[in-house]
Amino acid sequence: MDWVFLSELAINGVLTGLLYSLFAIGLVLIYKASSVPNLAQGGLTMVGAYVVLALSHDAGLPLWLAIPLAALIMFGLGFGIERVALRRLAGRPVVMILMLTLGLDIFLRGTTLAIWGGTSRSMELGVSYDPLFLGDIFISRIHLVGAGVALALFVAFMLFFRTRTGIKLRAIADDYMASWSVGISVERGVGLSWALASVVAVAAGVIWGEIQGVDQALSLLLLKGLTVAVLGGLDSILGAVIAGIILGVVENVGADFLDPLVGGGSRELIVAAVLILTVMIRPHGLFGRHDIERV
Amino acid sequence: MQEKVEAQNILSMNSIEVLYDNVLLAIKGVSVQVPKGEMIALLGSNGAGKSTTLKAISGLLKAERGRISRGEIKFEGTDITEMLAQKRVEMGICHVIEGRRVFEHLTPDENLTAAAPMGMSKATLNAEKEKIYSFFPRLAERKNSQAGYLSGGEQQMLAIGRALVTQPSLLMLDEPSLGLAPFLVEEIFGIIKQINQEQGLSVLLVEQNALAALEIVSEGYLIENGRVVMHGAADALKANSDIQEFYLGGGEGTNFHEVKHYSRRKRWLS
Ligand SMILES: Nc1ncnc2c1ncn2[C@@H]1O[C@H](COP(=O)(O)OP(=O)(O)O)[C@@H](O)[C@H]1O
Ligand SMILES: [Mg+2]
Repeated sequence: MDWVFLSELAINGVLTGLLYSLFAIGLVLIYKASSVPNLAQGGLTMVGAYVVLALSHDAGLPLWLAIPLAALIMFGLGFGIERVALRRLAGRPVVMILMLTLGLDIFLRGTTLAIWGGTSRSMELGVSYDPLFLGDIFISRIHLVGAGVALALFVAFMLFFRTRTGIKLRAIADDYMASWSVGISVERGVGLSWALASVVAVAAGVIWGEIQGVDQALSLLLLKGLTVAVLGGLDSILGAVIAGIILGVVENVGADFLDPLVGGGSRELIVAAVLILTVMIRPHGLFGRHDIERV
Repeated sequence: MQEKVEAQNILSMNSIEVLYDNVLLAIKGVSVQVPKGEMIALLGSNGAGKSTTLKAISGLLKAERGRISRGEIKFEGTDITEMLAQKRVEMGICHVIEGRRVFEHLTPDENLTAAAPMGMSKATLNAEKEKIYSFFPRLAERKNSQAGYLSGGEQQMLAIGRALVTQPSLLMLDEPSLGLAPFLVEEIFGIIKQINQEQGLSVLLVEQNALAALEIVSEGYLIENGRVVMHGAADALKANSDIQEFYLGGGEGTNFHEVKHYSRRKRWLS
């Protein structure tokens, strides 16, 4: 057994996993407020990346300005989605909202394809690709940066959910009717959670765009993001972070063992197995809340 | 004279009709007045239309696909019939909805914070919380545990405390005694009465437990099948033979009497 190699796989698994978490945090934010997994989160992530590209490469703004500006635009877009589409669905079955997010994803993919075409573009963040060695272990710098962003967002949201606005959002997640009864604007709260998830989509879009290029494939991150969110419990940000790490390590180490046996492609099988087993064995995920039984 | 009466009523609801899903007529011309600083009870059996009346006043009908199809509601002289629920809370109407409905995954302290208006300063919020904890010392003891695990009585106290954080001038309570032991009902009603007397808070209390409610209110309305069928001072209602029989457990009624009215009584109490 080559321990150095195994630790390298594990550490890079952790880093990649945190990048999945980065994506999944957006899903969790929306799930908390709307009780649906947002099937458009992949589309939003791709749009976030394209908006950064449009502002930096096309309009010539420096990245340090283009990224916050894109975040601001996407923040507005998130609010707009609630105002234009979701508000009309208040009180309808949750499956209708789910279908709406699916429609939104298709719409976002179609729009980006129409505006920016299908060829892959690079983000050009300027993060060095020189190897970084931790002892004997090789680490990718962009993965390290992305993992740092994911952890920073995690801390920021944990703090945010202790503020008055954050507590109101958690109240909305608990009970719409009771929220209305004390004057909480449920509509604005739902809008805010979409806005925040859209900002998270910019962060994920920039990092993943740097890693795999900016094209339609960015929206497919949804599949791994959903797996992480479900494993974490759908409504827990801590769950999304831990589940991301678990999936990243299991996928990285597992594929190394399995690939030689099955001749490649075992990563997808591992992700599928994690998703299916979670739903079958532990539907609330690792940290999902159970509804409290009333006595 | 008419205007003087208007000015004394904090709430004036006139001939309100409510439709659910555009077809189901749940209340049919209900008029209720709440004089400033008074406690008023709405009594009636299950399905009579009491909760619907409160939702019409608080604006929560919309969330249940209901709407006011006739009549008007005035709060402190302003027409609020079409106003958003959130605006009504800002104006000073707070509705403690049926079934307690605390935010289960928040702590009691966070439940109170959640209800605080965005514009309320931290100092004011803390003062409000202290006041609420002094009314309900049990809540203070458990303020950092999860609200979903509080007992039924504690949850009702929290639901009332959460409403008080919005600094209402009209508090509406929907069956606060439901499922609670008599000593708890007495404790909670005592505190509501105390707040009413000390701070002049007007209260509209919905109850099936007429015996307890008529002890603390000054007037009561009896609602049946979506209509007000009786309205009078609490003492007069307590003395009324129908109310005595169906709500207060009769007393002097003979067995024959009870048998005769059994089916009606059962319907009222079901
Ligand atoms: N959300 C709703 N949708 C349709 N009908 C309703 C709804 N809520 C109440 N109703 C109907 O309106 C009538 C009055 O109900 P409600 O106001 O809850 O009575 P109460 O509070 O006196 O028990 C009942 O016939 C009930 O079935
Ligand atoms: Mg009711």
